[in-house]
Amino acid sequence: MNDQRPVNIVMIEDDEGHARLIEKNIRRAGISNALCHFLNGSDALGYLFDHPDGPGRNGPALVLLDLNLPDMSGTDILARIKGDEQLRRTPVVVLTTTDDKQEIQRCYDLGANVYITKPVNYESFADAIRQLGLFLAVMQVPDAEA
Amino acid sequence: MLQLDDRRFNRLALLALASGFALVLIAFGLIIATSIANQRAADWVQHTYGVTEELAQFKLAMERAETATRGYLLAPDPRRLRTFRENSAQVLPRLARVHALTRDNPQQQEALRLLMPKVRDQLALDADMMARSERGELVAARSEFVRRVKVRQIEQIRILARAMHQEELRLLAERQILEARRRSQLQWLLAIAGTLLLLLGGATYWLVRRYTDDLTQARDRLHLLNTDLESQVQLRTADLTRANEEIQRFAYIVSHDLRSPLVNVLGFTAELEAADQAIGQLIDRAEAEAPQLITAEVRHAREDLPEAIGFIRSSTQKMDRLINAILKLSRQGRRTLNREPLAMKLLLDDIAATLEQRLKDAGAALTIDPQVPDLENDRLAVEQIFSNLLENAIKYLQPGRPGRIEVRGSLTGDRVLYEVEDNGRGIDPADHERVFDLFRRAGRQDQPGEGIGLAHARALVHRLGGKIELHSTLGEGTTFRLQLLRRLSDGGGAD
Repeated sequence: MNDQRPVNIVMIEDDEGHARLIEKNIRRAGISNALCHFLNGSDALGYLFDHPDGPGRNGPALVLLDLNLPDMSGTDILARIKGDEQLRRTPVVVLTTTDDKQEIQRCYDLGANVYITKPVNYESFADAIRQLGLFLAVMQVPDAEA
Repeated sequence: MLQLDDRRFNRLALLALASGFALVLIAFGLIIATSIANQRAADWVQHTYGVTEELAQFKLAMERAETATRGYLLAPDPRRLRTFRENSAQVLPRLARVHALTRDNPQQQEALRLLMPKVRDQLALDADMMARSERGELVAARSEFVRRVKVRQIEQIRILARAMHQEELRLLAERQILEARRRSQLQWLLAIAGTLLLLLGGATYWLVRRYTDDLTQARDRLHLLNTDLESQVQLRTADLTRANEEIQRFAYIVSHDLRSPLVNVLGFTAELEAADQAIGQLIDRAEAEAPQLITAEVRHAREDLPEAIGFIRSSTQKMDRLINAILKLSRQGRRTLNREPLAMKLLLDDIAATLEQRLKDAGAALTIDPQVPDLENDRLAVEQIFSNLLENAIKYLQPGRPGRIEVRGSLTGDRVLYEVEDNGRGIDPADHERVFDLFRRAGRQDQPGEGIGLAHARALVHRLGGKIELHSTLGEGTTFRLQLLRRLSDGGGAD
């Protein structure tokens, strides 16, 4: 956590239930950073690249990315982020239901920082998210290049 | 139908050709016979000419001899004497030749029999008269001549000779007609034979032409079919592969998308549970501190809520297991197979090692034939097939009977037949096919499981291009017979 510039959490997740559960468990882990939730890919990209508060223009951010989105594939968003000069250092946590080996490999190849499969079992799910929260609390996020 | 007609046509055509040739042969025979007959008729005509000629010469000689005799009687001249001698010498030999030539004709022979003595007599008389005249007895000779003229022997000779001549002329006419008829017969026969030959040649040409055309067409069709078949097979295979891929993709997507809402159901059920606990504690406190606040409904809700949540949770968990099973199967279909040499005894021993605890718990003994044939196949798939079969065998033993499980194998051509036999509780014949279906199980449902193992095993076996079937008697045991390719083909298995 950066003292001067709090890290924004950008959550791209089309399932509102999932989003709510993720947010709940992140908060339970004691993370109080601002959290922006997007239900589809295009809105999320718009925010990431163009919004004044977005990481493309300002401040450090962390992206929580679901791969199954209604308008585009999560891997496309990942590729856009990792292919952008400004955004490529932004950590991306892929958080999705897919546990397909090829999909996981592909995400890491594209530059994903962490890949987490959403466990269906809620205890494990909540646990995983809380641990992610703890991880977020200690990780250093690079400053966006001014 | 067309084939049959063709065959019948061919047989008829051959028959027609053969009879055509037979007819031509007969025609040639007839021609030869007729030509011989014609020759004979011509010979007869020639023969008759000969006889007529001979007769004419005879008559001529006879007349000359006669004339010479008469002349000599009127005016004895040695030249006439010479003429008489020359001609009378010819008469009899000529008549003898006529006799020889007309040996076939009784009528002429009869005439000759009459003629011959008269001629001889006449000649003898003539000679006698000539002799007398020579001796100077000219008067006596002349009177003798006058006497003889009255007898008219020469007239009779002439009549007889003319009759014979006419008979020959009649014969000649008859024989000429016969010859002409024979000749025209021959011409007709030649014309018919020629036409027949022409027809036959035409028919043969047409037939040969037809056969060659048929052959060429058949060959062309065959060629077309051959090349077409190849592309057809390729097309079908591509279709099947595409359909298969589509099903795999479909199963994958469906199971994936089903998982997402499940996370919510389970998640919020957990949240609900947590909330229920908090509320429960509150109710407990209220009951302790202000029991008048707690109504019967609240008390019921306090009991019902955990039960409802429990059902939701267990059902959703089951659903999750089913979805995972579909996902697993569809993933199995997408995995690329790797052929490698498998030492089957070792592989089976490894599986047995992982099942050791369960075997011990069930009190069962597992025997693996040390002679099981080895394979060149996909390790993971083969392992999964056998562990599914063995796990099943352990799971469904007959209670109260010491379990005995056996694995054996034998080679049959390019395939290996494995058998996994147990003395377990067996499977009802009605369920022999059903147990291989996804989510279907047979017998008493007293064991945990979703009915995935055998479906998975069968899908794998099919993918490897093999076959699996079972033989079982309820209450006595089950034998799974598994056929696998000794060497996995390069394109994978069945697809």
